[in-house]
Order: sequence, then structure tokens, then C-alpha cells
Amino acid sequence: MSQTSNQLLIDVGSTYFKVSTNDSIEQHFRDFNKDILDDLLHHCGATINSFAKEDVYICSSANGGLNTLIIGVSNSFSLKYATNIAFNSGINIIDTILYQNIEGYSVPSDLIDVVIIVGTIDSCAGMFGEDLYQYLGKLEYSNIVFVGSEQDAATIEQNIAKVVVLPNIIDNKLHIVEEHLKQYLTNLYQQDIEGKEDIKHLYDITSNQIYPTPYIVNRALPQIDARYSVVNPFILLDIGGATTDIHYSKDLVDDNLVTTNEFDRLVFKKLGVYKSKQSLIFTAKNNEFVYELLMHLKVTENIFDEQSKKATKILMQLAIFLVLCKISHYRKAYINLKFLTINSFVLTGGITKVLSVAEIEDIVGFFYKKILTSEHRPVVVLDSNYDIWTLGVQGDQSCQ
Amino acid sequence: MKVVTGVVGNDIHVVANRLIDLSLRARGFEVFNLGVNTYLEEFFDAVVETGAEILLISSLNGEAEGWGREVKALKAQYKNLDDLIMMIGGNLVVGSGKAEDIVPRYKKYGFDLVCHQVDLNTGLDTLEAFIQERNTP
Ligand code: B12
Repeated sequence: MSQTSNQLLIDVGSTYFKVSTNDSIEQHFRDFNKDILDDLLHHCGATINSFAKEDVYICSSANGGLNTLIIGVSNSFSLKYATNIAFNSGINIIDTILYQNIEGYSVPSDLIDVVIIVGTIDSCAGMFGEDLYQYLGKLEYSNIVFVGSEQDAATIEQNIAKVVVLPNIIDNKLHIVEEHLKQYLTNLYQQDIEGKEDIKHLYDITSNQIYPTPYIVNRALPQIDARYSVVNPFILLDIGGATTDIHYSKDLVDDNLVTTNEFDRLVFKKLGVYKSKQSLIFTAKNNEFVYELLMHLKVTENIFDEQSKKATKILMQLAIFLVLCKISHYRKAYINLKFLTINSFVLTGGITKVLSVAEIEDIVGFFYKKILTSEHRPVVVLDSNYDIWTLGVQGDQSCQ
Repeated sequence: MKVVTGVVGNDIHVVANRLIDLSLRARGFEVFNLGVNTYLEEFFDAVVETGAEILLISSLNGEAEGWGREVKALKAQYKNLDDLIMMIGGNLVVGSGKAEDIVPRYKKYGFDLVCHQVDLNTGLDTLEAFIQERNTP
């Protein structure tokens, strides 16, 4: 492992947790009848108790994190920019609403953690009106933030109770300004984690701040090539129990997003192999290439009903394929990666314990051949020791 | 007045775009330049976000012919762009063509001002005259 001094690193996921020390790494399925702390102590009590509180670092993606609904005035700017910032802050997006058509959108029945309203540069005024307030009246949400034109802020404040007003995320050159909204969302996420009873108890074993996992991973990315022989540009897939995350370098998108961030993130909420297994299978059955892929893997559709190690493997391979499809074809996925210029695929998360490099290369090869009709084959790198989140956590210490 | 400009489609000819940016500023316009390789949708979106009154599109490699007929349908999806002044210029067909044929065709596509291989300054004079005419009751 890459720790320098003796530390204990813990990552609490939705399905399993990982515990790593200088010389060992353990992974256990979570027992959902137990409080997280009890569960952890049950499996690795001795190890945990041998560390001082200040040497224990924890990150968590349990409880699914926060969700947001974004209301903006155009797809290419306000909605795209807010979406980008939300993803990079580790927030899941329930839906995006194009304001001019707001009357045609249904109102989500879920409680929204944070609603983001955005639109127009500061020299414009009068964008939002009664139809916005009516829609919000029907919506259930806990927080609401306005990051549009400063000239509209006063009207928004008069009409929307408890709205937080932050500087515009679109500057006068139509470029994105990330920091204020990103900080606000990261703080909300932080408060959310701290507010969860389960997580609160974890502060019994650490005196350090508990961070969201995607935030930690994003921070590790610029250093990845120091740890592995990764050839830039690369994408990183984190296939977990409930979600699949993709982190990618900015060079891989043709875009009008001008930001200081080198890396971006995309989340597919319903593509996990345990908690979201059913929706993964549903997505698979609707993909026209999946049967060919199953044939290629020498299995039949019946594998979906099986509960075996083999079935988990196949599901993981499917998850990789489906996620790649989503970012190659559908314009709706908000970005299209330039697949032919990707040199490395890095995989982290539970998948590294289940699939071998060869099994992943097989899928990646199938994808390039069938979907892109290309002979290009990026190098596959497995982060089997969870070096990536180790790097991310350590990045934090050096900032302090 | 605010103008959104840029080069449409998979078109990387950037020289005219720089000149247009400079010339418009010199004439007192506030310019939002989306640069080369810009999707049609991005132009309209930029108009919404900036509140621009004018959209000035360049096409140099001839591809405008291909998507021109889509302009009207796309614009119709936006609710508040009825008063937008739409102008296009550059090389508007592949190969050679006559302005008498080209201009009416692009006007049908929804452009108010069409400048096929027209020098920039002449084009911008036309734009200013158009604005003045529109503003005199
Ligand atoms: C330099 C150049 C290139 C460079 C571009 C470098 C760069 N990044 O800018 C390179 C080599 C990359 C290139 C590539 C190609 N090019 Co080229 N290129 C030229 C060239 C020689 C000069 C363009 C230029 O910069 N002129 C100087 C500027 C100032 O003038 P301008 O672009 O004509 O613009 C003036 C007016 O048109 C006007 N204007 C422009 N927009 C607007 C808008 C409005 C509203 C108004 C009023 C006026 C206006 O204002 C400008 C000043 O007066 C022209 C030929 C030529 N002599 O014009 C071909 C030309 C534009 N290219 C052409 C082609 C076909 C291509 C390629 C497809 C070639 C290929 N087969 O690969 C590729 C396309 C690449 C792509 N994806 O877009 C053709 C287009 C043919 C057509 N429309 O029928 C041309 C006309 C050459 C030709 N005669 O065949 N090209």
C-alpha cells in the first residue's frame, strides 16, 4: 500500500466496506441489520482498536448521498454547467428541467435534497416568473439555491422562501464559474453524512473529517499516473453495488466547458451489481447488443436468474459494457467521450476483486469492435489495492 | 447591442471568426463568441443565456447547405426568439453558386440577412442598416 506512516483507511460503501492498513487490506459485505460501526467492529475490531483516532481516515458513499433537481434555461450552458458542478461535488441528479417548458414536466414524488435554479448572465434580468414559483410550490425539497443572474436574485428571494443566493455560475463570457456552488454542495453533502445516525457513530473511531468517496477519488486522479503505469488520457470506472461512476480527463470531451478542473465525473445511479441489480438487468435487456455479448461470453439469458459467482462476473461485465454504451451513443448522457483517444481504462471498486484483467479486456474489446467498429484497444489497469482512495485521503492530509 | 457569433458545425476555419469578433467590437457591439465547431443548438442556447438581439453565424467549409433546412424547426422549439435578428455569411454552398439562388434559399431557412462570399465590412454595414430600419417606426 502507499501509506507512509501507519494509518487505517476505511471506505464504507452501499454494499461492502474496505479496511486497509499499511500491510493488509480487507473487504467485507455489509450486514444491513447492523449499525455500520457495529458491523465494522464485528469484522475488524482488533485492527480498529489498535489505531489511535487521529490515524483513522474514513470516507463513505453509503446511503446513496444527496440528490438534486436542476432548473435551467438552456441545455448547453446553465443546465450543463450546473450538472457538471453537481456531479463533481458527488451529488446525484434526479432530473434537469428546461425552464421554458417547465409546465410540461411532471413533479418528482421523491423528496429533493437540493433544488438548483440557474440561468442567464448577470447583464440579463427578468428570466424567471410565476410558472417557476408554481412548480416549486408542488415540489418537496429540503434546500434550494439560486446561481443565476445577480439582477434576478432580489425577485427570487422575494418569491422563494429560504432560498440561498450564490454568485452566478455563468460569467460574462459564458464560461463556467464552479467554486461557490461546488463548495455549497460539498458542504451540504458533508452535513448530510454527518447527520446520518449511522455515520455519526463512526466519529467514535476517528477524529478526522469523514468525506464522500467520489470526492476523494476525484482528488486522487491527477496523481494516478504516479502510482500506476497509466497512459494518459484515461477513464476510471468505479463499479459498485448501487452505482457506477466514471471519472474522465477533460481532454476526452470536445466541449465549451472551460474549467480549472482536470477531471470530471458522471454517475449512473441504477447500474450497480447488488443493490441495483434489477435495473441493471432491465437496462441490459433493452440493449440490442446484449444478446450478442452474452453469446460471446458463452452464457444465456438464464444467467440473470442465477445466484452464482459466475453470474456476478457476467453482471459486472455487462455493467462495464452498458456504461460504455451510455457515454458513446446517447447525446442525452450530456457528454460523449472520445473513445478512440483513450489510452487506459482504470477500474476500481469491488469489481477488481471479481474480474481479471483478461475478462475486462474481453468486454472492452467487444465494445470497441461492435459499437465503434474499431481495432483500438486501450490498456486495462486494475486498482486492486485501492491505491486510488489511499492517494485521495492522503491528498487531504497534505492540504491540511 | 448583444451579438452571439461563431462558426457552425464541424468547421474549423477560424480566421474570419477572429476578424468578425474584432470588427463587431469596434462597431460597439457586445460580442459573445462561441468560436469554431459550434452546434446550431449552442447558438440558440447562447442567445437565451445572454439575451442577445443578434445571431451572426459563419460557415466557411460549405456544410451549411446540409443543415440549413433544420434551422426553422430548431428555432421553433425556443419560446422567446421571435425578434432575434438572424444573419449568416461565409461560403454558403459547396463549390460555386450564384447569390441570386443562394440568398432566397437561406431566407426561406429563416435567416434575415444572407451574405454569401460578401466582404465582412459590407456585411456589417448591411446589418447596421437593417437594425436602423427595424428601429424606425
Ligand atoms: C486556411 C484554409 C484552411 C485551413 C484553416 C485553418 C484555420 N484553422 O483557420 C485548413 C487547412 C485547416 C483548411 C481545412 C479545410 N478547408 Co479550407 N480553406 C482555407 C482558405 C485557404 C483560407 C480561409 C481563410 O482563413 N481566409 C481568410 C478569411 C479572413 O477569409 P474568409 O474565411 O473567406 O472569410 C471572409 C468572408 O467569407 C467573410 N465572412 C465569413 N463569415 C462571415 C459571416 C458574415 C455574416 C459575413 C457578413 C461575412 C463573413 O468575412 C471574411 C473577411 O472578409 C480557404 C480558401 C480561401 N482562399 O478562402 C479554404 C476553404 C475555405 N477551405 C475549403 C475546404 C473544402 C476545406 C476542407 C474541407 C478541406 C479538406 N478537404 O479537408 C477542410 C475543412 C476542415 C474543417 N473541418 O472545417 C474550401 C471551402 C469550399 C466550399 N465552401 O465550397 C475553401 C473555400 C477552399 C476552396 N476553394 O475549395 N482550410
